[in-house]
Amino acid sequence: MHAVLTGVSFLVLFGVIFLSTTHFMRHQIDDSVESELGEILTDVRGGGRDAYTTVVRSLSQHPAGFYYLLEDTHRVVLAGNLPALEPHEGVLEWGVAPPSAKAPVAAIRGRGVMLPDAYLFVGWSTHQLHEMEEMVIRTFAWGLAASVALALAWGSVVSGRLMQRIETISRKSRDIIAADLRQRLPVTPAGDELDHLTGSINAMLDRIETLMDDLRQVTTDIAHDLRTPLTRLRQRLELARSAEIDAESLRGVLGRTVGEVDAILGVFGALLRIAQIESGARQSGVAVVDVGMLMDTIVELYHPMIEERDQRLTEFVQSPLLVMGDRELLLQLIANLLENAIRHSPRGAAIEIRAVRSEDRVEISVSDTGPGIPADMRSKVVQRFFRLEQSRTTPGNGLGLSLANAIAKLHDASLRFSDALPGLRVTVCLKSAG
Amino acid sequence: MKILLIEDDVETAYYVSRCLGDGGHETSVESDGSSGLVRANREPWDVLIVDRMLPGIDGLHVVRELRESGAVTPILFLTTMAGVDDRVDGLNAGGDDYLVKPFSPAELLARVAALCRRSAISAQPTKLRVADLELDLLARTVMRAGVLIGLMPREYRLLEYLMKHAGQIVTRTMLLEKVWDVHFDPNTTVVETHISRLRGKIDRGHTVELIHTLRGTGYSLHVPN
Repeated sequence: MHAVLTGVSFLVLFGVIFLSTTHFMRHQIDDSVESELGEILTDVRGGGRDAYTTVVRSLSQHPAGFYYLLEDTHRVVLAGNLPALEPHEGVLEWGVAPPSAKAPVAAIRGRGVMLPDAYLFVGWSTHQLHEMEEMVIRTFAWGLAASVALALAWGSVVSGRLMQRIETISRKSRDIIAADLRQRLPVTPAGDELDHLTGSINAMLDRIETLMDDLRQVTTDIAHDLRTPLTRLRQRLELARSAEIDAESLRGVLGRTVGEVDAILGVFGALLRIAQIESGARQSGVAVVDVGMLMDTIVELYHPMIEERDQRLTEFVQSPLLVMGDRELLLQLIANLLENAIRHSPRGAAIEIRAVRSEDRVEISVSDTGPGIPADMRSKVVQRFFRLEQSRTTPGNGLGLSLANAIAKLHDASLRFSDALPGLRVTVCLKSAG
Repeated sequence: MKILLIEDDVETAYYVSRCLGDGGHETSVESDGSSGLVRANREPWDVLIVDRMLPGIDGLHVVRELRESGAVTPILFLTTMAGVDDRVDGLNAGGDDYLVKPFSPAELLARVAALCRRSAISAQPTKLRVADLELDLLARTVMRAGVLIGLMPREYRLLEYLMKHAGQIVTRTMLLEKVWDVHFDPNTTVVETHISRLRGKIDRGHTVELIHTLRGTGYSLHVPN
């Protein structure tokens, strides 16, 4: 393709140069013939045929490149160094075959003038012109051949390199598929289109790797978090089997065992629920809900528990606050946030729950005066099973905020953690529905 | 009570019939949707317990067919999925209640009892009475031994539910669902604190306590023997 384009443009260039060159040379010949003819006419200056004969004959003796012919009306040569011609007024050019065998040159271009009783022709050899034409054609032929060859060579080099890079990329891709997701496609310093593409693919691989790491982390965490209670369970069952134990104590052991199994099943249930919410499978429950009413329900539900812990709760709702959402899930979101605040604050702490409209969003926030979360830990608390060292001893499975975050994400929102000075503030901004 | 259980898992079927047997119920089991549907139509039942996932015709379909043919028997769905949509789907198909596996025998018996009770009460009474505790459904007032007791709206609804199921066990989950319309487990002692507040208002200062806690199971409002 490249070679064809080069060839065509070369041909166009050649055509233009060839035509203008030969045109220019013919013009030159015509000019000098014209002036020579003019000079003869001036020399003769109104003289008769004999005067012409004298001038032309003397000129023909020292031709200086010109060819002359003077013939009478019966085509009898009177003077000159050309054979007789068919008289022709104006420019005359002939090629290879001259009109007479006596012609000394192959090709002549010249001008003829009808005199009262004779015909005068002055010409110039077009030999140079033809040589020039030939040379131009030859030069261009070579040039064309060379440039097409070069273009072909360059093209094959470029496409060869491209193919090689594509081959490298696809080989690397296969490596990544087969074994190591940490590998990346090579990016050259050239920064061309292919590099742009591989850059995007590498970014995609980064994302996949992060997701895979998350997955691995979660799997490890699940295994770890369930292994511990299962181990405890097994130990207790082993003890109960080996020891001399009466029916009443055995029933007690079994009761506690069922309790622990329930806790483990609870963890599975929560994980499944998070996964289901994160997959976005649940859509049927979406309707217009009043956040204020949800907050009232939750506050009412938790109020006795808060009072029992001597904590103080302030509720501020700027009703009505309508959002598009899933009532059940949003209830759970608010409940999880409030429960977190209650659980992680000491007795006597102040808890504030508020919902306000801010532009086209409804902002729900829960703040407490508890120990808060260090800034560098805030991004981690929504991870499954993540628990701060300080809260290891409080009940909970480390899934509450993950679930809350999954619900927020389903509603195109996310949990924001900030410092309530002192304590923790968790904010979620939902899109307002009216 | 005569109960039909449509459940394909043999272990679960055995567990459920044992639990129901302990509660004094007589249980028949069918292990797939189509035979369950035939059996449910052929004999009279007090309660149907239907698993969501069944070979052949699935549980939702069975219940829908039964309801379309005019059956009014109370139906309890059993579901393993922690699916958030399952409850709504089940109730839309014509189920009266649902229970997520795994469940305790107490929870199962309490749900079945509540369903039987629901079908038994056809005429709506205007007053509920247990011993000297009286709840006026029209005036929305509560009196104990002739003395008016001031209750918060939610406390009233809690008491109303307990009194409607007087003598039965109601579980924590049932109260969350029926009184608060909350269908997730808040994982704390929220219900416990509400009950103890209500108990404070109803039972304090009276020699006979009416609200009883059954450890690890639930609550019951009744006159102690």
